[in-house]
Amino acid sequence: MKLTKYIIGASLVISLGSCSDYLDVQPLESISDTKTIFDKTSSETAIRGVYSALADGNYYGTTFQSIGYLSGDNIQWTGSQSQVQEFINKKVNAENSTISGAWTAIYRTVNRANNVISKVPLVSDPLLTDALKNQIIGEAYFIRALSYFDLARTWGGVPLITKPTSSPLENSGIARSTQAEIYAQVLKDLDIAEPLLPLTTDRFRATRKTVWALKSRLYLYQKDWAKAEDYATRLISDSNYKLLKPFSSFFANEARGTQESIFELFYSSTETNTHRGQWQPQTNGGTRQWAPNDALVALLNDPKIGGGRSTLIAKDNQNRWYGNLYYRTPATDPSYIFRIAELYLIRSEARANLNKLTDALTDLNAIKDRAAIALSLASSKESILLEIENERRLEFALEPHRWFDVVRTGRAAEVFKVTDVNRLVLPIPSNELLRDQALIQNPGY
Amino acid sequence: MKKNYLIFFLFLLTYSSIAQNAPLINATLEGKVIDQKTKEAIIGASVSIKGTTNGGLTDADGKFYLKTGQKLPFVLVVGFVGYTRQEFVANTSKVTIELLPNDTELSEIVVVGYGTQERKNLIGSITKINPAGVSNIPVGSFDAQLQGKVPGVQISSPTGVPGETVNVRVRGATSINADNDPLYVVDGVFINSNSLQTIGTGGKATSPISDINPADIQSVEVLKDAEATALYGSRGANGVILITTKRGEFEQAAKIHVNASFGQAKAAKLWELTTGPEHAQLVNEWWINTGILDPSLKRTAANRPFRPVADGGRGLPSEQKTYDRLSEAFRTATLQNYDISLSGGTKTTKYYIGGGFNSQESILKPITFERQSFKVNLDQKVNDVLQVGVSNTFTRTYRNQARAGDGPQGGVLQAALHTPTYLSPYNETGELVGRAGFDNLTLLLNNYDVNSSSLRYIGNLYAEAYLLPNLKFRTSFGADYNNYDESEYWNTFLLLGAQGGLATSSISQFTTLLNEQTLTYRQKFGLDHNFGVLIGNTLQSDVLNRTYAEGRGFANNAFTVISSAANRTSTQSWSKSNLASFFARVDYGYQGKYLVDFSIRTDGSSRFGSDQKWGYFPSLGTAWRINQEDFLKDVGFIKDLKLRASYGQIGNQNGIGNFAAQGLWTGGAPYQGNPGIAPQQLANPDLKWEKTSQFNIGLDASLFNGRLSFELNYYDKYTKDGLLQLALPSTSGFSNYWSNVAEISNKGFEFSIQSVNYQSKEFSWTSEFNIAQNINKIEKLSNPLNYGSRDLILQKEGYPLYSFWVYKQLYVDSKTGDAVYEDVNKDGKITVADRQIIGSIWPAFFGGLTNTVQYKGFELAAFLSFQYGNKVYNHNKFFGEGGGARDAARVIFASNNARWQKEGDITDVPKPDGVNVNNYRDGGSRWLEDGSFLRLRSLNIAYNLPKKIASKLGAEALKIYVNGTNLFLISNYSGLDPESSASSDQNAQGIDLGTPPQPRSYQVGVSLTF
Repeated sequence: MKLTKYIIGASLVISLGSCSDYLDVQPLESISDTKTIFDKTSSETAIRGVYSALADGNYYGTTFQSIGYLSGDNIQWTGSQSQVQEFINKKVNAENSTISGAWTAIYRTVNRANNVISKVPLVSDPLLTDALKNQIIGEAYFIRALSYFDLARTWGGVPLITKPTSSPLENSGIARSTQAEIYAQVLKDLDIAEPLLPLTTDRFRATRKTVWALKSRLYLYQKDWAKAEDYATRLISDSNYKLLKPFSSFFANEARGTQESIFELFYSSTETNTHRGQWQPQTNGGTRQWAPNDALVALLNDPKIGGGRSTLIAKDNQNRWYGNLYYRTPATDPSYIFRIAELYLIRSEARANLNKLTDALTDLNAIKDRAAIALSLASSKESILLEIENERRLEFALEPHRWFDVVRTGRAAEVFKVTDVNRLVLPIPSNELLRDQALIQNPGY
Repeated sequence: MKKNYLIFFLFLLTYSSIAQNAPLINATLEGKVIDQKTKEAIIGASVSIKGTTNGGLTDADGKFYLKTGQKLPFVLVVGFVGYTRQEFVANTSKVTIELLPNDTELSEIVVVGYGTQERKNLIGSITKINPAGVSNIPVGSFDAQLQGKVPGVQISSPTGVPGETVNVRVRGATSINADNDPLYVVDGVFINSNSLQTIGTGGKATSPISDINPADIQSVEVLKDAEATALYGSRGANGVILITTKRGEFEQAAKIHVNASFGQAKAAKLWELTTGPEHAQLVNEWWINTGILDPSLKRTAANRPFRPVADGGRGLPSEQKTYDRLSEAFRTATLQNYDISLSGGTKTTKYYIGGGFNSQESILKPITFERQSFKVNLDQKVNDVLQVGVSNTFTRTYRNQARAGDGPQGGVLQAALHTPTYLSPYNETGELVGRAGFDNLTLLLNNYDVNSSSLRYIGNLYAEAYLLPNLKFRTSFGADYNNYDESEYWNTFLLLGAQGGLATSSISQFTTLLNEQTLTYRQKFGLDHNFGVLIGNTLQSDVLNRTYAEGRGFANNAFTVISSAANRTSTQSWSKSNLASFFARVDYGYQGKYLVDFSIRTDGSSRFGSDQKWGYFPSLGTAWRINQEDFLKDVGFIKDLKLRASYGQIGNQNGIGNFAAQGLWTGGAPYQGNPGIAPQQLANPDLKWEKTSQFNIGLDASLFNGRLSFELNYYDKYTKDGLLQLALPSTSGFSNYWSNVAEISNKGFEFSIQSVNYQSKEFSWTSEFNIAQNINKIEKLSNPLNYGSRDLILQKEGYPLYSFWVYKQLYVDSKTGDAVYEDVNKDGKITVADRQIIGSIWPAFFGGLTNTVQYKGFELAAFLSFQYGNKVYNHNKFFGEGGGARDAARVIFASNNARWQKEGDITDVPKPDGVNVNNYRDGGSRWLEDGSFLRLRSLNIAYNLPKKIASKLGAEALKIYVNGTNLFLISNYSGLDPESSASSDQNAQGIDLGTPPQPRSYQVGVSLTF
């Protein structure tokens, strides 16, 4: 009987001895969202979190980029995922998983930026100097501007969210702004970011010069030629940026952060860039989901047209061509957002439109010269603009420009045979429409 | 004890009769066999003279006649189903033998929550299964073996791989994002039933239930209604499966039981693919048709892909060869199983020791499953009031695994099935090469090195003491320890390892610790009142700890361990949840006629918001044993008739994140090699228990002395506060958050019947049949939710869970060859607005039928399982019937040969072209098929050697058996197996992509008892 008593006693001690915090278990991998950005370190880590969203596989990692080039006329579908072909056929459905992936990733980036924009100004930590604080806030404004720029050029007007989400009811049910309103917000954010950011050269983080690059591109899209030219000039005249020769210098031999680069995203063996997987053939550990099409291969391999840019493609052991801009193992390839070459071509296009034809030709020829092909002798505005268009096609053959370029110049009907203007913006992802009644689909979808 | 006296008495009689040397007669012995209670004649009872082969059956009047050369008196053995077998001493001719109806069926002990109950006193809806009848089915885990055995429990095997997860749904599904799996309790320990697998094998996942050796299981009880599950409060909403393992008996001589079987398994059929020439022809057609529709593509007959090599093409279609990869990937698999056990007991100790070895190859190379199990159950009476005991299960399972589902690299079925048949496995220089982006099958099979081993301990230590003769205290400590170790090595012959090799290692440890106390009191007041009380508490803690490492870049293929890789990365995760519970049950029975009980359990979970941690789950049950009433007492053919009703509320918290209620930021958002933080999850401080109310009414009957018995149940389940990862508009920066918004109902009937169709001394035939219907419906869901590849599944208010969301193809225009879809909104265009729900994964009814025939020592059991009315999306066929659009990237199925070619063709397969997206549209209804089936799940033929022969061989019993599974499958489904489902996501069921079918198997075995 004694034994029985001991057993009962011990079991009661164990079962009733547990105290009230038995049901209070906290995670070890995450922190509570009630105290996130409050000192220098947390401010610095929070802005890195924003870059991390920008570099996500669904944003500048792969998915968003793919919209820009798959929708053009350079790439063919060689894999199994049929959503890819919808871009190539210019018949994107609202259920397309690529667009919903990109949409989600861009708004996630916006929310992270909004957290930094609203919380870092409130931090009072003597270690967080004004300069550093301004820089962090400025970077967040820049990334938000880039995000909205990408949203607007892909989908047209979108809901404008400028406050961080802290509860489920916030930041949904917001109707779409117009494309013009979104572009205005982009400019507003860039204007705020510009003075906050230092005038330094950092190719992996936003600086005042990065703001100039985006302003130049924004004005080009808005056909404000003089301003596009002005901001492009600020970078072209900066000796930190150069068109490197040969063409492959900016990416070959595992190069990173070269003088060609204004802004590129950093990846490492632990923060990998999944992009190579779509391009590289199976023998290199990729899936070759898509590949340069015959037309592009012919152009790039023509020494008079492609020149040094033929290094963008290579052949596998089954004699199939594949894109080779993203090739590294481990997958540390940078994602290129602004290269100085683009600023030359922006300025050339702006100048041509301003009828500064000689200057325009000089900028265009800088690109041709670097590609090691014959210089242009074009003399009319139209012929220069056409040459710029064709040059951009090859210069950024595997970068996300072709679709946006042809759409913004209004030549999609001619170049891509897309006569339905509704098709010049992509459909809002169908699952977003299900979740938010305030969202209205683009016409024609 | 009475029985012993009787035997003693008989012995004396026999002895004395021999001594007396009674006169020899050679005459007819006449007699009659009647029911002791009703005095009615029993027809067909067997009567034989003990120790002889002389015997016969009673006739229509219950009479028998025996001619005997024996001396009087002698002993007659009289038996009949439903009656206690009786020995009768015949002194004279013309005897009347009264047989006593046996109540074994009614007094059968059924395990219920925290106790046992005699069947006749059951109030809840509980199905008890003796797993012996199905334990030969070679599937690895006992839950898969029970398909079709339990009314109202739908069990399906999404893959034909032994030891993989099985979907078990008790009376439908109650939740979208919380688990719908039942709770598994092994000897009182709540065990883990979620796969710990982390490596991707294409949606398949290994089952932790397969760590349990079916041979160690004594009985399985499935608790279905609220009355039965209420004591498992928080855990019981999806039913509870109680597993009782074998134990010894006190005062029983040691018994050794050995079972060994061997067998083979094979795919009953494989996919039908186009030949090389057919593939080429289809691609050419697609090319030319595309060119006609979009001339800007400049695709013409002149530059079609399959044109003469001299013109720069791949050769004419007729010149293409056909390469068969499927028969290289599939094999005749070998199966073997050995179990040995020793059990017995002394006055104070009883024991069961079991060992098992099971090894099964999958029909798909190179997958294997191997289990070594060891079991020790021990009970010790310490003194008159105290008993202690342990249950221990140690298991090691070892698997060679392979990616069978989707995903291009390393996938066996990708290499074998999805590679176009016209492509040679060799390149021009004679090297093996992968095609279409997939691995080379031969290289893959020769170099596959993906394996996992699971080390499992399930144990329980208990002590129970009678504080008073009718007051029992029990305390127990239980543990479920899972150590799951996985590794992969992809060498440079394989695509994943092409860049210098890739190795991964992942170790997951999941530990459940459990402490439980119960106090049971039972008292009879007079003859009429039976009263019982149970109170108890439970503490449970679950910890999941995982370490993952990866290495890339090895010097050569001889180095396979991560330490020798050039690039090494690793990660770790940790998560914990606690649960505290208190429960009580009061039951009362009046005259064994009216039974009522009430129970309540309260659970506190660490997963919920601070004010919402506790949930209260009550239930009330009553039963009326109508046959005990005076007006039925004299109705002889009714042995038992019971009406049951119960109502209760049960909770669910399984499957949600351990920190689901908290707002979280992650530290895993680095940039430039420095740490970064980012929002991860929105808080929901109001997150609370999902609650399922269930009403059940049932009727149990046992008629004609138990020859016919049936059970009928109707239930109505309604789930409120359903746990849901409510989708948020992405503009919020989040995809979803945990909430309690969904409401789901399940209603249905269950019916089961057992019948002894024929019974004689040497021959018997019994049947068991069960059928069930469950109607599932999402009653409330603010926004529809998409799941599955190409949004094939839509969860929408007003429709069942897992409804298929497709474009309905009406026909193929015989003039144009274009597929015509239903334009639901009549806007003249086919857009996403025209997708509609057509069917779901739920069958209209399902069940099983078992027939057992015994003749002398022979036994034949045939077990059929069936379901009717469910849909399956044949996603394999979607890819395989791509109309040539995927050209060299995917195989084309032979079914695509039926495509429209010219005006007037009547077919449902449209013209191949690359412009009209409608023709081979993602999510077309053409691939949504009827998944009804009737399957001969198992056919078992056994022969029990006569005892004489067995004992000559030194055995008490010896049985030889042959077993076949899936010998036939009747189904309209055009895929291989209508149960196939690629994804382990519970919301994406019913999509068949790249999984091997359940095999057809044959086994022979022998079972011996010493």
